[in-house]
Amino acid sequence: MAVATRPSGGYIERPRPSGLADVLEIILDKGIVIDAYVRVSLIGIELITIDARIVVASVDTYLRFAEAVGRLNLQEADNSEGLPDLMESVTSGGAKSKTKGALEGVKEKVFGDDDDDEEQKPKARSRSRSGSSSSRSSSSRSRSGSSNGGKS
Amino acid sequence: MSRSVYVYGVVPADDASAVSAAGVEGCTVRAVAAERLGALVSDLDTGSLSAAGAVRAHWRVLDAAAERTTVVPARFGTILEDDDAVRGELLNANADRLERLLATLTGRVQLKVEGRYDEDRLMREIVDGSPAIAALRRRVEGRSQAAAYYDRIRLGEAVAAAVAERRAADADRAQAILAPLAVNVRVEDARTPDSAFNLSFLVARERVDDFGASVGALRDELGGHVDVSYVGPLPPYSFAEAELSSAGGA
Repeated sequence: MAVATRPSGGYIERPRPSGLADVLEIILDKGIVIDAYVRVSLIGIELITIDARIVVASVDTYLRFAEAVGRLNLQEADNSEGLPDLMESVTSGGAKSKTKGALEGVKEKVFGDDDDDEEQKPKARSRSRSGSSSSRSSSSRSRSGSSNGGKS
Repeated sequence: MSRSVYVYGVVPADDASAVSAAGVEGCTVRAVAAERLGALVSDLDTGSLSAAGAVRAHWRVLDAAAERTTVVPARFGTILEDDDAVRGELLNANADRLERLLATLTGRVQLKVEGRYDEDRLMREIVDGSPAIAALRRRVEGRSQAAAYYDRIRLGEAVAAAVAERRAADADRAQAILAPLAVNVRVEDARTPDSAFNLSFLVARERVDDFGASVGALRDELGGHVDVSYVGPLPPYSFAEAELSSAGGA
C-alpha cells in the first residue's frame, strides 16, 4: 500500500481501492430499501447471501476451534521465540486454510476466478451456475430469514 | 418477459446524468429526475437476469457515480415497474428523507477497516492465557475424536468465548482510535472466522489523510497481532440505511 511520510514523523496510509470481494456483503445488505415487495428475488441471490456469511456460533464452529487448538504442538511452559514460526509452517495446511478455502471456493463459484475479471466472464457459465444454485436456495431460505432477522 | 427498471441509487437532480459504466445486463445507465432528486437506473428484462453479473454491475455503477457526485446507494436488487414508479414511488414519495440522507452524505466517503487474526498465533495466545482451556486441551489430547466429542465441544466453546472477548477488546481499540476522525461508524458483520473487527466509517473527504494517519497508528498499536486492511473510498452503502415507503410518509 502507498505510504507517505509526514512531517510529524507519523505516516498516512492510503486506502486500497475496493475489489468486489471487499464489498460483497455490504452491497447485498446495505442501501436504501423501498418497501419489501419491489425487491425482486433474483435467481441465485439468496445463495450468495447465505454463503457470504459466516455462522458464528454452532457446534461446527466449536469443533473447528477445538481442532485449531489441538493442532498446536504446545510446549507451553517454555514458549521459545522460534516455535511459532516453526508451527506456522507445520500447520499451514490445517483448519485455517481449509476454512478459507471453503469460503473462497464459494466466491469463486459464484463470481469466477478473479474478483475483478468481470468483462471476460461468459454469460452462459454464470447462468448455469445460478441455475444449479437455485436448487439449494430453497433449503437455505429459512437460514436466510433468521440471519436477516437478527439485524437491526 | 416484462420490462422493468433496475435502480442503483439516488443522486441530486443537478448531477442526474448518465453514467458511463455498463449497467445490469450490459444496459446503459441513465438518469430519471424529479424535482431536486434523480435516480440512476437501467432498463431490465427480469426474465434473464444473472445474479453474479448484476452484483458486479451494481458495484461498478455506484463506484463510477460516487466519483463525481453524492450518491445514496439502493440495496442490490431494487427493481421498479417503470420510470413513473421511480419518480412517484421512490423520489417524490420519499423526497424529504432522501434529501436529508443526501445532505448527511455530501462530501463524505465510506472507508472500511477490517482486522484479521493469524489463527495459529491467536489460538496459542488463548491457550497460554487460560489455564482452564489448557487443561481442557490436555483432556482431549490423544483421545479419539469420538471418545472426546463432548470435551471437544466444551473446549471449542471455551475457545470461542475467549475469541469473542478478544474481538470485543480489539474492536474497541480500533474504534477508540478511528472514530474521533469519522462522522459516523458502523460495525459490520464478521466476514470470516479469523475476523477481529469489520468497521465502516463515514469520513469527510478532507479528513481522509488524517484518518489514514490514524489507521497507521492503529496498525502500530496492534503490533502485528492483528492484520489490518484499509479499503476505500466507497460509496456510502453502510450509511444509506432507510426503509422507504412507496406510498410516502414515514
